[in-house]
Amino acid sequence: MSDLFAAYDTDKFYDEMFAAPGRPRPHYQRLFERFGQMDGISDLLARQRTADQTFVNRGVTFTVYSDNKGTEKIFPFDLIPRIIPAHEWTHLEAGLRQRMEALNLFLADIYGEQRILKEGIVPREMVETSKNFRPELVGIPVARSLYVHINGTDLVRDQHGTYRVLEDNLRTPSGVSYVLEDRQVMKRVFPNLIRDYRVRPVETYTSDLLALLLHLAPAHVPEPTVVLLTPGVFNSAYFEHSFLARQMGIEIVEGSDLVVENDKVYMRRTDGLAPVHVIYRRIDDDYLDPTVFNPDSLLGVPGLFEAYRKGNVALCNPIGTGVADDKAMYHYVPRMIKFYLGQDALLPNVETFLSGDEKDMAYILANLEKLVVKSVDEAGGYGMLVGPHSTRAQIEEFRGKIIANPRKFIAQPTLGLSRCPAVCGDVIEGRHIDLRPYILNGQTIKIMPGGLTRVALRKGSLVVNSSQGGGSKDTWVLAADHEDATPAVPEKIIV
Amino acid sequence: MLSRVANLIYWIARYLERAENTARIVEVNAQLVLDLQSRQDADDPRAWEPLVFVTGSDEKFHELYGEKVTERAVIEFMLFDKENPSSVLSCINFARENARCIRDQLSAELWETINTFYLRLKDDDFTRYAQIGAADYLAWIKTQTQLFHGVAEAMIPRTDGWWFYDLGRHLERADNISRILDIKYYMILPSVQAVGSALDMVQWASVLRSCSAFEAFRRSRRGDLDLARVVDYLLRDPAFPRSIRFAITEAEQCLQRIGAGGTRPATASAHELVSQLRLELETTEVKKIIASGLHEYLDSIQTRIEAIHDAVQLAYVTQGAKAA
Repeated sequence: MSDLFAAYDTDKFYDEMFAAPGRPRPHYQRLFERFGQMDGISDLLARQRTADQTFVNRGVTFTVYSDNKGTEKIFPFDLIPRIIPAHEWTHLEAGLRQRMEALNLFLADIYGEQRILKEGIVPREMVETSKNFRPELVGIPVARSLYVHINGTDLVRDQHGTYRVLEDNLRTPSGVSYVLEDRQVMKRVFPNLIRDYRVRPVETYTSDLLALLLHLAPAHVPEPTVVLLTPGVFNSAYFEHSFLARQMGIEIVEGSDLVVENDKVYMRRTDGLAPVHVIYRRIDDDYLDPTVFNPDSLLGVPGLFEAYRKGNVALCNPIGTGVADDKAMYHYVPRMIKFYLGQDALLPNVETFLSGDEKDMAYILANLEKLVVKSVDEAGGYGMLVGPHSTRAQIEEFRGKIIANPRKFIAQPTLGLSRCPAVCGDVIEGRHIDLRPYILNGQTIKIMPGGLTRVALRKGSLVVNSSQGGGSKDTWVLAADHEDATPAVPEKIIV
Repeated sequence: MLSRVANLIYWIARYLERAENTARIVEVNAQLVLDLQSRQDADDPRAWEPLVFVTGSDEKFHELYGEKVTERAVIEFMLFDKENPSSVLSCINFARENARCIRDQLSAELWETINTFYLRLKDDDFTRYAQIGAADYLAWIKTQTQLFHGVAEAMIPRTDGWWFYDLGRHLERADNISRILDIKYYMILPSVQAVGSALDMVQWASVLRSCSAFEAFRRSRRGDLDLARVVDYLLRDPAFPRSIRFAITEAEQCLQRIGAGGTRPATASAHELVSQLRLELETTEVKKIIASGLHEYLDSIQTRIEAIHDAVQLAYVTQGAKAA
């Protein structure tokens, strides 16, 4: 047995692979053994190079424009999979489904009767001051009465291994293309291991997404046209946009490709204007229609809002979902679950302090160096303070911001996020991870088994966002916890 | 296909073709200067002046380089100057930016071809050009553009995208050939007694060579190199791929393929314009053209190609038409 993990230390964090140093958890036992049969770290590094080259060849890259050379980089990918046993996934799936149901009911409610506000469960002011709330849409019906279609819920595990919801992403969650590409690469690099583990496939995601989009089309259209609306080639997620469009066989369009006439949307084709019925938009609300929202937006389509309001075109996600993924609103999701479903939340939140609340504010200001402070309406790891990793000056800067604008911030205790082994240089070390499963809400709720595991590759870092030095891992959800088949591979063919 | 995508492909082809022909125009002049009898003539600033005129960018040139037309300035301007939108570097840069926008819809090889070309070209200047030598350097540019066309031909499916590519390429070529023919109009020593002289022959041979037409001309038409015969060949030959008539006929066929999907009023005018021009090129007599002024005639060809371009834009890109 090689010593790939000999020096591995869990450093008192919850470790996905090891219950204690040298003692792998049951679902990692097989991987531990197979890695042990490898020819040391050099074997692993060779596989890592194969993986990296595969990403380059498949064009899973983003372009660095600053040097004007068209240099392409791949998002860092770590070879050691994150494995989720079947029973854990059953629990996660139930919790995510429950959360999606409640969020959909919440959005239906606040864009409808507003019962939850009338009964004071969620403060009215909290909704009305959210910059993602669209009062002009109250009372306007949406396609199939679905108020949110795609949620990328970020989950973390705390020091006890308990899965907690960190935040919801109800606008245009990204990253799913990496899940699909990561799996393709892992199938090449570790084909036998994947088969022996009976990893649940993720490939049906794009078919499920297409079925969802078609489901949203106006009822009278026999053969609806679906398009993906992108901000354009310079957007950092453009790879994903074109990937998904190609996988679904739909056109990828920019704002200038669409035109609205008589409140109907068309795309400009060489053979004339062709009607569009469903838009999977990867543009935020603010940029969708310059005549209604941000007038400076060159990305959107003038008149789109009116076409949407009249039900002539469906948008996925609908306009105004952002009010429910506001980081302050997050605090109320367990109460929404109770209010609409009469259930307790299966997946707990992370303890959250609202600077808008007087008592919480006092606590926040007294404990800034211990807390993580987040701006309620920013994503991508921007606009946040990680107290224990910040300088005095950074903390004081945030103190000023919080006092000036209490509604804009929340604070959470710094979590000891779970770690998973990752290849770091030529050693294997523990790195913090999170998990973003993708939940589709169409005819039924469908949850891709697994999701995007992001890993903070910088030593000690808790920030997993790709814009902040994060990478990804393949996520393996196992079909069954108990082995019922012996490995079909002869012993000497390893990994 | 989406109009935006069609337009990007169309312009990629135009930029590539323009870059190639610019290299050809520079090449013919470099050759010509070598053939001039006296050192004095070779140093004559007027030796490089015609190039600036034929590209239609003389104002821009003088704005950037002042009054004096030197070889160095012309080479910088026509090959490497980013301020000149028609320079080879600008064309390749634009083509690459267009290709980047539809990378996922092109083949990876096509993108790599243009990207590699641009990256090799972008830091070059007159010094590098002089180091390598005009002939080799310009041959390299031509080879790179031809490589791109070759890859495109092997990779692009024969759907609308291809027809827009081919349309752009041939419209640009027809325009560029008319400009190359026009070079002779601006050449030094245009005196009456020079007509039919050895120098005159040399100049016509150079014009043909810049279109890679010299040998083809010799094979298909016997006799002297003179004005009427060379003009007739480059303007009206039905079989030579770099004649204006050939290019316009190709463009016409592209439009027929694109229009095959449906007929809308706006598309008719592009078809009509290109058919009219093709018909005229088939029937016109070169002697009459020369009698009434070749330069004016070539000018009118350029204007008509521009009108075809505008009609194509209106019909397929900017969409004057309403929804069906």
